[in-house]
Amino acid sequence: MEQPINFFSGFSFNDLLFLGEAAGRTILISILSITIGTIFGCLFGWILQVSGTAGAVSVGAFLDIFRSVPLIIQLILFYNFAPMIGLSLDPFASGVIVLSIYAAALVANVARGGIEAVGRPMRRAARSLGMSYWQDMRYVVWPIGLRAVFPAWVGVALGVMKDSALVSVLGYVELLKASQILITRTQEPFIILTVAGAFYFALSYPLSRYSARLEERWSQ
Amino acid sequence: MNFAKLALTGALMSAVAVPAFADKLDDVINNGVLRCGVVLDFPPIGYRDANNEPAGFDVEYCKDLATALEVDHEILPVTWAERLPVIVTNRADVVFGGTSDSLARAKTVGFSIPYAIYYAQAVVGKDTGVKTFEDLKGKRVAAAVGTVPEQEFLKYAKEWGTEDLYQGYQSENEVFLAVAQGKADVGITTNTAVKPIADQYEEIIAGPRMPWTTDYTSVVGPRKDVTWLNYLNLFVTHQVRSGRYQQHWDKFVGGEAPELRIPGVLY
Amino acid sequence: MEYTFHWRPVFRALPDLLDAGLLTLQVAALSMVFGVVFGLGLAIIRLNARGPLLWAASTWIELARNTPALFQLFFFGFGLGAFGWHLSPYAIVLVGLSFNNAGYLAENFRGGFKALPPTQLRAARSLGMTATQAYIRIIIPQVLRIVYHPMTNQMVWAVLMSSLGMLVGFRELSGETQFFASKTFRIFEYFAVTAVIYYVIVKLILAMSRLLAMRLFRY
Repeated sequence: MEQPINFFSGFSFNDLLFLGEAAGRTILISILSITIGTIFGCLFGWILQVSGTAGAVSVGAFLDIFRSVPLIIQLILFYNFAPMIGLSLDPFASGVIVLSIYAAALVANVARGGIEAVGRPMRRAARSLGMSYWQDMRYVVWPIGLRAVFPAWVGVALGVMKDSALVSVLGYVELLKASQILITRTQEPFIILTVAGAFYFALSYPLSRYSARLEERWSQ
Repeated sequence: MNFAKLALTGALMSAVAVPAFADKLDDVINNGVLRCGVVLDFPPIGYRDANNEPAGFDVEYCKDLATALEVDHEILPVTWAERLPVIVTNRADVVFGGTSDSLARAKTVGFSIPYAIYYAQAVVGKDTGVKTFEDLKGKRVAAAVGTVPEQEFLKYAKEWGTEDLYQGYQSENEVFLAVAQGKADVGITTNTAVKPIADQYEEIIAGPRMPWTTDYTSVVGPRKDVTWLNYLNLFVTHQVRSGRYQQHWDKFVGGEAPELRIPGVLY
Repeated sequence: MEYTFHWRPVFRALPDLLDAGLLTLQVAALSMVFGVVFGLGLAIIRLNARGPLLWAASTWIELARNTPALFQLFFFGFGLGAFGWHLSPYAIVLVGLSFNNAGYLAENFRGGFKALPPTQLRAARSLGMTATQAYIRIIIPQVLRIVYHPMTNQMVWAVLMSSLGMLVGFRELSGETQFFASKTFRIFEYFAVTAVIYYVIVKLILAMSRLLAMRLFRY
C-alpha cells in the first residue's frame, strides 16, 4: 500500500530540527569567515597604515571594491567565475571565501583606525625606551588600539554574521534559506520567520549590547 | 586571452588537475555518482516531502538515469534561476527541472529531446473573477523569475501597459503563496501543478490556459558534451519504451502521460 | 578555460540596466529620507520618552540592527502577507530599507544629540524659543552636521542593500540583471557589468556628498 502523496504538510517537530541544523550552519560559516577575515583584515590594515599613499592606491582601492559592490553580487560573480578557472567549489567554500574577503575589507579599515588611534608621541616614547618596532606594536599599539576599535570590530563581525544570510543565493542551506524552504512547504510564513528572526536577534543583541557597554566604560 | 590570465589558469589547472578532455559519460561512470540538479518547488514534478526530502517526477527520473548508468545519484536542489548555472559551473551533470528548450538558453547549455510536455496555466484567487486570458489585463500577475511564462507574459503586459502589476518571485511556491495571501490575483504556473495547488488552498482555483505555445521541456547537460547529450536522448526514449514515463506520470500527475511529439516536426 | 564569454548581449541590455540603476538610486534615496525622519524621531523618543513609547522605539531600533536586512525584507513581504497586508515589491524594498535605515541612523543621531552640550537647548529656550523651535532651528541642524559622515555611509549601504530587491521580485538594478541573465543564463557576464554600475553609483554618491559638505559646512 503506497502512502498518499502530500505536497504540502504542516509545521512539525522535525522542522524545528531542520531549522536548528541550519542555524548551526549559519554560526559555522560566520565564525570561519569572521576569523579568516579578521586575520587578513589586520594584515591589510597594517599595510595600509605603514605604506602611505602607495598602499592607499593599491591595497586600499582593491579593498574598496568589496565595500562598493553589493555582497550578493560578489557572491554570484565568484560562484560563477571560480569554475571557469577550474576551481570546483561548493556553495559553502565559495561563501566562506567571499565572506572572508568582504570581512577583511571591512576589518582593514577598523584595524588601520586602531593603529592610528595610538598617538605618535606615545609611539615615539615607546621607541625611545628602546623597544623595537615589533615590541612597540605588541605592547603599546595592540592593547591601546584594540580598546579604541574593539566595538567597531564587534559591529563588523555582527554585520558579517547577518550578511551570511546572503550565501543562501548560492543554495547553501543556512538559517534563512531553511526558513524559506519550510515556508514554501508549510505555507506558514509568519511563524517560521519569527523563529528565524528570533534566532538572529538572540545571537546579535547580547553581543552588541556588550560591546556598547564596553565602549561606554572605556570612553570614560 | 592575455598572458596573465593564461598563466593563472595554467597554475590553477595544475593545482586542481582537471581531466581536460574526458567525456562526461566517462566521468560520471568513473566517479560513480550522478549529480542531478532538480527544481524542488514545482509540485508534483519536484518538491520536498514531509521529511524535507526531495521527491517527485523529476527526482524519479534522476534515480532511473543513475540506475541505467549503474551509479549512485545525488540530488542538488536548485531554484529556477540556478538550474542552468549549475550546468555551466559543472556542479551538476544533468538537470531535470522542467526546462523549456529555448534557443536563447541553448546558447549556454545543451538540451536533450523533450522528456516532458507541459502548458502554462494560471491559478487565480477565487474572488478575482478571472475566467479567460483577457481577464488578466489590469490584474496583479505573479510568476517565477527566470521562467518562460515570465518572459511570455511580460510581452503581453508590455502591450497592455500593465508591466507594473507583474510580480516575479524566486520560486513557484512563493507565487502560490502570493496568490493565496492575496498579494497577487493570478499566478502563472504549469498545468501539472494546478490541481494539487487548487486542492491545497481554499483561496485558489484553476484559471485559464495561457495563449503561448506548449512547453517542451528537456533534460539539460553541458553544451559541448554531445556524447552525453546523445546518451540523455536515448535515456528519454527508453523511459517511454519501458513504461517508466507513464508510471511516474501516473503516480505524480495522474492519468495518461502526454505523447512526446512535436507536431509536424521530424527529430 | 573552457568558458567563452558572450559580452554583446550584455551591452545591448545596458540602457535597460542603467534605467534600473536609476530606480535603485531612487528607492535608496527615498528610503534615506524616510530613514532620517523616522531615525530622528526614534532618537528623540529614546532620549526623552518613557513607558510604551520608549519600548516601541527601542524595539524598532534593536530589531533593525540585530537581524539581517534580507530577513526584514522577507518579513515585510510574506510575513505581513499572512495578515492580509500586501505591499508591492517596490513597497517591500522601500519600507524594509526605511525601517533598517531608521534603526541605524537613530543610534547615530542619539550619539549626535549626546555630543551637543545641553546648555544649547537651554540657551535657545531662554531666548524665547519653544522646545519645537529650539529643536528644529538649533539642535537638529547641528546634529545633522555631526552625523553627516555616518549618513553618507548609510546612503551607500542603502544602495547596496537595495540589491536584495532581486530576492523579493523587485526589478531594481540587480533584479533587472537577473531578469536579463535568466534569458540566456549568462550570469557572470551580466552581473560583472552590474557590479561596475554599482561601483560607479557608490563613487558618485561619495563624490557628491563631499561636494555638498564643502558647500554646507564652510567655516
